[in-house]
Amino acid sequence: MSLPFIHRSAMLCRGFRASLNLYDHTTTIRLRTLCSSVGEANTGILQSTEEYKFVERLIPPSRVPIPPKHDGPSPSGWTPPSEVPPALPYMIRRSRMHNVPVYTDLTHGSRKTTLVRKVEGDIWALEKDVKEYLQQLTGKDLPTQVNEVTMTLRVKGHFDTELKEWLVEKGF
Amino acid sequence: MSFTRKPGGKALDILQNLPRISLANLRPEPGTKKAEKKRGRGQHGGNRSGRGHKGERQRGNRPRLGFEGGQTPFYLAIPKYGYNEGHSRRAQYQPLTLNRLQYLIDLGRVDPTQPIDLTQLVNGRGVTIQPQKRDYGVQLVGEGAGIFAAKVNIEVQMASEEAIAAIERNGGMVTTGFYDPRSLAVLCKPVPFFISGQPIPKRMLPGEDMVTYYTDATNRGYLADPEKIQKARIALARKYGYVLPDISKDELFHMLSMVKNPRQIFFGLSPGWVVNMAEKKILKPTDDKLLQYYSS
Repeated sequence: MSLPFIHRSAMLCRGFRASLNLYDHTTTIRLRTLCSSVGEANTGILQSTEEYKFVERLIPPSRVPIPPKHDGPSPSGWTPPSEVPPALPYMIRRSRMHNVPVYTDLTHGSRKTTLVRKVEGDIWALEKDVKEYLQQLTGKDLPTQVNEVTMTLRVKGHFDTELKEWLVEKGF
Repeated sequence: MSFTRKPGGKALDILQNLPRISLANLRPEPGTKKAEKKRGRGQHGGNRSGRGHKGERQRGNRPRLGFEGGQTPFYLAIPKYGYNEGHSRRAQYQPLTLNRLQYLIDLGRVDPTQPIDLTQLVNGRGVTIQPQKRDYGVQLVGEGAGIFAAKVNIEVQMASEEAIAAIERNGGMVTTGFYDPRSLAVLCKPVPFFISGQPIPKRMLPGEDMVTYYTDATNRGYLADPEKIQKARIALARKYGYVLPDISKDELFHMLSMVKNPRQIFFGLSPGWVVNMAEKKILKPTDDKLLQYYSS
């Protein structure tokens, strides 16, 4: 009765097509009656530990897995952080899902800001570098806000893709 | 390198040296607060106070919203049509882009060396399925077909043609399978189901409306003829202009050709079995009638 898995070449679907035409539900036997007899005697049940490995595959992992090694960017565009942290006065850690912590925000329906989180070290040096980089990109001097308590940097406008690429290029 | 800084940084240094903040030495940034125009208080807030000249406008007696002076209003002139009728009872399929699938594989959240199932996608937190909200599973969408480069054996509930082409071009296999709501709930959250002690139910076959979808080889339906599926693979390769790789010569051919029985929910586990997670055992029935029921 065990049907672990079947291969395409061996599957006969004609039987199943025939069963599709049968709409009479012949027997609906409840397994509850069998459960009640379990307490009395284990005669009607087979126990096995061999197929338990299939159950272990179904259990969800409780921790975020470590990404496998890639040489440079992966096909989806994800780039691992560089082995050696860059020699800069600040550090931007990856999020727990191994992504660059740059996020866009939209308040009041039209107020666009970009948030850089998880900054460590000299946040004012980061602010200077970000302003310089965005000045080159857009030609505008964009307002920024540094929060030294939460160690975050907010920039006016949506620049998440640009800042992510820039940070990845630096090796964060 | 680890940076140790005093929390608050330069702002805290400044604050400690400035006088105490109070209402007397706080003021908003010039230009942020614009004075409100107070109506009915002289010069340009006064006279008619922004109400116009006589009539319903000034007297505050305008008719209800949508009234067009007696002409049949727009919202009554247009006839009714059931565009949204029964919208809350329609089947929904959560989209899964090839971009996202590639991202999950790259980050190691989904294992391409094992057949990819809805359980594997949910365990990797790739998709969120709510069986109680009329979700019937996941649909594979072709966005990201250009960058997709993984050889996988994936089982979804619906798939677009471009997505099937992209997966088969990389030497993978796609199957579309139907899960009734109860089986879907079991598939998405297997651990609470095993803990409940119920036997694994058998998967029901699709209803009349979906049978044609799942028996069609172009959709790689699980009820379709395998020979027709092979022909459809060749036809799709010709249509999209790629060489169909021969997976029978692949080292992972055994894994790629793994397919579930139409009545089976999990790989390796048959309907009717009870899983005991505390003792890591599986209990199987031996009664003839039960075996006949579960294998029908």
